[in-house]
Amino acid sequence: MDDSKEHFAEVKDLKVTYYPEDGVPVRALDGANLKIRAGEIVGILGESGCGKSTLASAWLRLLPPHASCEAGTIVFRGRNLLTLSEQELRPLRGKEISLISQDPALSLNPLIMAGSQIGEVLRAHSLLNARQRRGQVMELLREVGFNHPEEIYSAYPHQLSGGQRQRIAIAQAVACRPALVIADEPTSKLDSTLQAEIVSVLLQIRKRHATAILVISHDPSLFTGFADRVAVMYAGRIIEVGSSPEIFGRPLHPYTQALVQIAAYSVLTKLQTGLRFPAIEGESPDPTCIPAGCRFEPRCSDRMEICSQSYPPQFMPDPSRPVNCFKYGE
Amino acid sequence: MGSNLYADSPNDTPTESLLCVQALRKQYVRGGIWRKRVPVAAVNGVDFEIPRGRTFALVGESGSGKSTVARCVTRLERPDSGRILIRGINIAQLRSRDLLPFRSGIQIVFQDAITSMNPRFSALEIIEEPLLIQSQRGQVEYDRRNRRDRVGALMVEVGISPDWMHRSILHFSGGQRQRLALARALALRPQLLVLDEALSGLDLSTQAQVANLLLDLQAAHSLTYLLISHDLGLVARLADEIGVMSGGQTVEIGPTQQIVTSPNHAATKKLLAAARTATSAFAAATGEQA
Repeated sequence: MDDSKEHFAEVKDLKVTYYPEDGVPVRALDGANLKIRAGEIVGILGESGCGKSTLASAWLRLLPPHASCEAGTIVFRGRNLLTLSEQELRPLRGKEISLISQDPALSLNPLIMAGSQIGEVLRAHSLLNARQRRGQVMELLREVGFNHPEEIYSAYPHQLSGGQRQRIAIAQAVACRPALVIADEPTSKLDSTLQAEIVSVLLQIRKRHATAILVISHDPSLFTGFADRVAVMYAGRIIEVGSSPEIFGRPLHPYTQALVQIAAYSVLTKLQTGLRFPAIEGESPDPTCIPAGCRFEPRCSDRMEICSQSYPPQFMPDPSRPVNCFKYGE
Repeated sequence: MGSNLYADSPNDTPTESLLCVQALRKQYVRGGIWRKRVPVAAVNGVDFEIPRGRTFALVGESGSGKSTVARCVTRLERPDSGRILIRGINIAQLRSRDLLPFRSGIQIVFQDAITSMNPRFSALEIIEEPLLIQSQRGQVEYDRRNRRDRVGALMVEVGISPDWMHRSILHFSGGQRQRLALARALALRPQLLVLDEALSGLDLSTQAQVANLLLDLQAAHSLTYLLISHDLGLVARLADEIGVMSGGQTVEIGPTQQIVTSPNHAATKKLLAAARTATSAFAAATGEQA
């Protein structure tokens, strides 16, 4: 299969800068590269402020007006989304690419019944009549795990629990069977029992419709058993990519190693060991004055002299494992 | 052994309890103008006790009533019935004027630091506000310079440079804001700190940093913590004792080790299973033994 077909969605060297009205410009994304294959679940792992949500919004061209994509391309099925007009984008948004936002309490309209909000997507993108739409919505509600879709159809968002609301948001996102769903921290507002539920709903959807899903989270444990590949982001750049077992079983970048260590620690199995939590000391760099060298260098335990001088290029310790760290340089 | 602190307890002299909650009940009324008003029991019989200097965690699924307990203990809500004893004095039904001497001793930190702070304020203004209020009431006299020194010291204590005192809180990261919220809560030297999902919204590495900070602060000021969380895996590392809530009631209370190793109630088992599912999947992925 030729590469462009296999990777139906791709971000190439994307740079996004925010220009606040009163303040210094902030480069949120500084040359991000990511490829997504059809039907693949790709996770983006990174801490808040690393640019992962900017990447999600850029994909749908939903960045706020004071943000600007200064370089790079976002290719979806052979077309560069950055050059399309709003009119050309409209049939894509919600139909080909859709978004599940972090907080369904904010993304759902509190005055409209849940079922009608799902039907709205179908009304915008299909020629179904009202009765067909209703039938389709019931089908979608069943698909996201509601056993009594009639009750849910006529419920208002405030009458639903957080987990139910998130499932409504998922039904809305997959209503038109998009090729790519972007889920921005889909479980961060839910407790751990509901998190597993949402993950299984998303896995079911991928299985049935071969939907590619881009999941964004700061929690490595969300990706295990869920994402096929994981890209780790730090301070506006992707620093390591690998399959989920590779990233968690043998992390390469010191940042990923530290994160995996923390995630493995915050579990019940090692209750007796020590009192303090392992943590990465320090903060990620101020986005208004990014250092010239590796951005993780001030917090890195394996730093070398070269790390503060120039940004590490991509090394390939394994054929499938690009990583930006001088540790793996020849 | 839950933690080192707990392990020593049998040999210690019996510690006096700082907070004791008995048969706490609180109802809210749902419905309104066009709908029938239906009472909903948010908290329906909660009992627990926290010895001074210890950490007690209240865990439960969302909707189990744990945040209502936090709001009652800090007396942001008046409970319908039951007793809240602070060093032996029942504050459950005190009028707001009589509550004043207790207010500074009990502080709360919420999940979302940004919504609990005025976005137009600087770090200095945020942290000095409780000091100002106390000065106005004439309880403690703080002049401008005293206040500034105290704010500086508090910022150092929570690990933020006092040089940033005049920055707007919008220029701080999520973890830093939660540190500022802790500094504000500590400004009046409380004995009891209620942390209502205070670690939940944070990134993993930030969460670990703030958890370590909580341990340091407790050691330095012999603080008593009431942790409210849905994440049993996280609080198990911090708490000496855990109370599990379900349907507005405490259904199981015990030392952390006992709750984690031999849970009795179905709600506890469910929370543990949720924590373990995430754990074992992750342990399998990282190649460790679950």
